[in-house]
Amino acid sequence: MSDDPKQEAPGSNSWDATQWHEVVKGDTLSKIAAKYYGDASLYPQILEANKDILTDPDKIRVGQKLRIP
Amino acid sequence: MSKRLIFAIITIACCFALTACSTVKAPAEAAITAADQALAGVSKEASQYVPDQLKSVQEALAAAKANLQKGEYQQALTGAQDVAAKAKDLAKAVAAKKDELTKAWQDMSSGLPGMVNAIQSRVAILSKSRSLPAGLDKDKFESAKASLATVTQTWTEASNAFQSGNLMDAVGKAKAVKEKAVEIMNALGMKAPAAAM
Repeated sequence: MSDDPKQEAPGSNSWDATQWHEVVKGDTLSKIAAKYYGDASLYPQILEANKDILTDPDKIRVGQKLRIP
Repeated sequence: MSKRLIFAIITIACCFALTACSTVKAPAEAAITAADQALAGVSKEASQYVPDQLKSVQEALAAAKANLQKGEYQQALTGAQDVAAKAKDLAKAVAAKKDELTKAWQDMSSGLPGMVNAIQSRVAILSKSRSLPAGLDKDKFESAKASLATVTQTWTEASNAFQSGNLMDAVGKAKAVKEKAVEIMNALGMKAPAAAM
């Protein structure tokens, strides 16, 4: 897992407070939810925030930038 | 030289002196009135935006008035003219300060609501969590929630201050919101926007 490498990632507005996570090998939405929320069962929050790019929670790819609400 | 001639010379000299005094007295009085009016026109806003600069000009006006009282008309005239010029500078300084504060407000008001929303969103999700993420314990989380309530309240006050034209207060409160929001984001393991750093 990696911490957000570019805070201003998509959009590049210096005031953008969106939190990002760049997917690395071995990541799952549950693991990402556990990292940021301490609870893997909260992964639907991440899925919902990224529904424009994710349709299946099991299909995330390395390098993808996910919003972490 | 005869006594009559000396007397005539002294009389003429006195006349010249009196004429000179009365020639300068009226312009000095007029200049002080004008300086008074010029200062009155800017003092309300100047006291809010550039109080130190205003104090210095008020002191200069008081000195000019004191000179007038003492009969030092030329100094009073020069002083009053200087005050009138400084009153114009005050107006420019007020305009510059208002411009600076307006820009600061526009900048912060474009970003702070987004920061506050991001924090609210994270707090709402963490409140549902069965355990907190690494680096965040219960006390820290409760403290962040309390700070969020303060930040929300302060932002409302800042917006109200701006609506009522109180730029100094609005920007001061917005800065406080920004600093507190950065603290909360750090505590929650979030990254603050670059513009807030």
